[in-house]
Amino acid sequence: MAKHVLLNNVEHKDLRVITRRSAQFGDDVMCALTFPAEFRGVQAHYPIFFRKAADSGQFQPFAMFGLRDQENLFLDDQGWDATYVPMTIERQPFLIGFQPGAAGAGAERQMVVHVDLDSPRISRTEGERVFLEYGGISDYLGRINSILRAIHQGIASTPAFVAALLEYELLESFALDVRLNDGTEHRVAGFYTINEERLGALDGGRLEALNRDGHLLPIFMVIASLSNIRALIERKNRRLRR
Amino acid sequence: MSGIVGRIVVVGGGSAGWLAAGVIAAGHRSADAGRVQVTVVESPEVRTIGVGEGTWPSMRDTLRRIGVSETDFIRACDASFKQGSKFVGWVSGRDDDQYFHPFALPQGYTEADLVAQWQAGHADVPFAELVSYQPHLCRLGRAPKQIATPEFAAVANYAYHLDAGKFGEFLRAHCTARLGVRHVLDHVTGIVARDDGDIDALETREHGRIAGDLFIDCTGFASLLLGRHYDVPFVHRKDVLFNDSALAVQVPYSDERSPIASQTIGTAQECGWIWDIGLPTRRGVGYVYSSAHATDEQAEQALRRYVERSAGAPAAAAISPRKLGFSPGHRAKFWHRNCVAVGIAAGFIEPLEASALALIELSAAMISDQLPATRGEMDIVARRFNESFAYRWERIVDFLKLHYVLTGRRDSEYWRDNCGPATIPERLRELLSYWRHHPPSRYDLPRVDEIFPSASYQYVLYGMGFRPAASVTARLSGDAERAEGLFRESAALTQRLLAGLPENRVLLEQIGQHGMQRI
Repeated sequence: MAKHVLLNNVEHKDLRVITRRSAQFGDDVMCALTFPAEFRGVQAHYPIFFRKAADSGQFQPFAMFGLRDQENLFLDDQGWDATYVPMTIERQPFLIGFQPGAAGAGAERQMVVHVDLDSPRISRTEGERVFLEYGGISDYLGRINSILRAIHQGIASTPAFVAALLEYELLESFALDVRLNDGTEHRVAGFYTINEERLGALDGGRLEALNRDGHLLPIFMVIASLSNIRALIERKNRRLRR
Repeated sequence: MSGIVGRIVVVGGGSAGWLAAGVIAAGHRSADAGRVQVTVVESPEVRTIGVGEGTWPSMRDTLRRIGVSETDFIRACDASFKQGSKFVGWVSGRDDDQYFHPFALPQGYTEADLVAQWQAGHADVPFAELVSYQPHLCRLGRAPKQIATPEFAAVANYAYHLDAGKFGEFLRAHCTARLGVRHVLDHVTGIVARDDGDIDALETREHGRIAGDLFIDCTGFASLLLGRHYDVPFVHRKDVLFNDSALAVQVPYSDERSPIASQTIGTAQECGWIWDIGLPTRRGVGYVYSSAHATDEQAEQALRRYVERSAGAPAAAAISPRKLGFSPGHRAKFWHRNCVAVGIAAGFIEPLEASALALIELSAAMISDQLPATRGEMDIVARRFNESFAYRWERIVDFLKLHYVLTGRRDSEYWRDNCGPATIPERLRELLSYWRHHPPSRYDLPRVDEIFPSASYQYVLYGMGFRPAASVTARLSGDAERAEGLFRESAALTQRLLAGLPENRVLLEQIGQHGMQRI
């Protein structure tokens, strides 16, 4: 059960957050939502795939950490084995909320930070301080604010990116058939990726349009990320050996 | 006059005219750029029939074939999903009397003798519910797919319920904007014949003569070309299927969150039956009856009572029924010289299994796929077409009669008369006798493109209470176990589907809001 409350420096002045990565804190997830602006960081370690949201059928990009549900092949008892951790993982247990603007109807909604008090990361004794002794924002919270803002803008930019992919018919459904060293076979299905052939066949006009709208770079970051599939399978095989 | 067939003139709009135009235009675009030109001449004065709201699963392929987006179609035509039919009150008329005819085939159809094991081990369970997940989905008002399912793809085999008027308009817009179909809004005042008897052109009020090589008669009951001009005889089938009248109404939902039914409901009445089709915004309801057995007033009373039971007294008082009279039957031939009839111009029968739109699709597909290149070839295609559709009409009459002949109802002359031996086609009588020892199978329906597959006959036969005689020969060893395994498979699949499929209204709202993905 989640318990989201508005973060404030009175009720939460002594709040600490355990930031180390562990299954104990819910990091054993197969994938995490990402967004075009983050693709360049994500592609260094993780394959990027698209899936349809269950309630809308709309495509969303994900960074993959494992080959089945609740499997994170980057997570071991030492922590998270990669230098970059996607922002939607890092932001936990914080999330963005909205409040009506101070001037009432017509004013812009304000972005505010909420925290999930039921998260196992919440502590009174260990981890990063959220607020400073006299109520100021800690460096940690400052970083969280930036991350939340980036996630918010990133998710808002995703529909336009997906629309461009669909317009040029660049998305295709994808099933990954994996054969592991122990002989077991495994299918990862329900994912979509970018069709390189159709990408390669795009004419100058379309490439220019994609570039002008800022979609070309993320598209190639997705393509580049696919070479991480082999590494992911290798991680799985290494685990089986243990 | 080169004899090349290029100018296709469709006479009449509506579902028939625009589906025919669309299928032919879509089928001949790139290969014959410029050669085939489709024109639809539609009268601004003649109204379309305005009903005809159920389709078969083939409509998904037809719409995809002409390049329509399923999202656009559902939004524009007030469409909902249809998973088959539920027949209420046909066997005994008692409260618990109902059976399903779903679109999905029985689980493992042809892998084992399901009927024998049904009788041996589960005789108290309705056949359709034992062998298929679909009646269970229907009972709970579930949709046949999810918002994440791509356009035209199914989780459970499905068709549509739609607003007939909006469907015609939607198709017209698509045909003229995307398929290069020419639209002439004008009234046909005469037909110009050639010396050899072919139709040369139409005479129209404002546009003069409209010449063509092939004329498609989609003029409905008027059958202007095939019936009126060529005087092709009409084959009456009222001796088998008595219904010749319909009273149609639209019934609002009590509130905008009311559940939408997953299937057509056909409820037997004293002198006919009432259709009930659930669209998102309203229900289409109508009483199909025999004027020889009931007066229009009696029919209207029965219709009001039905509406009152399901929608309350105020709704029942507010209905304004539209009366339709028709002759159940079809033309003796459908393609004569350079004229072929599609839709009601070819024939009309009570909508007991929603065959009308399906026949339009089949006709349009055959004309498009076999479109003769020259006038010389046309007679060959015409002969094939006539033979194919004459056979199909026979099977439709047989299959619809099957819904009547096994009734246990004796509460009116209508039902008693329906069991009269003289009213039962010979072929159906023979099959019924044969089915005492063999379930309906592909051997009974030997053609590749049968209009109703043998599974449909099984659903209706056993739904109507027919029970095979005990088997006199030993069955294949292992068959009973295989059948039991399939029944279990069906039950397990049912649970999985119920866990994942939303209610109809939920899915339709998601489609309205987000649209469906093409992939």
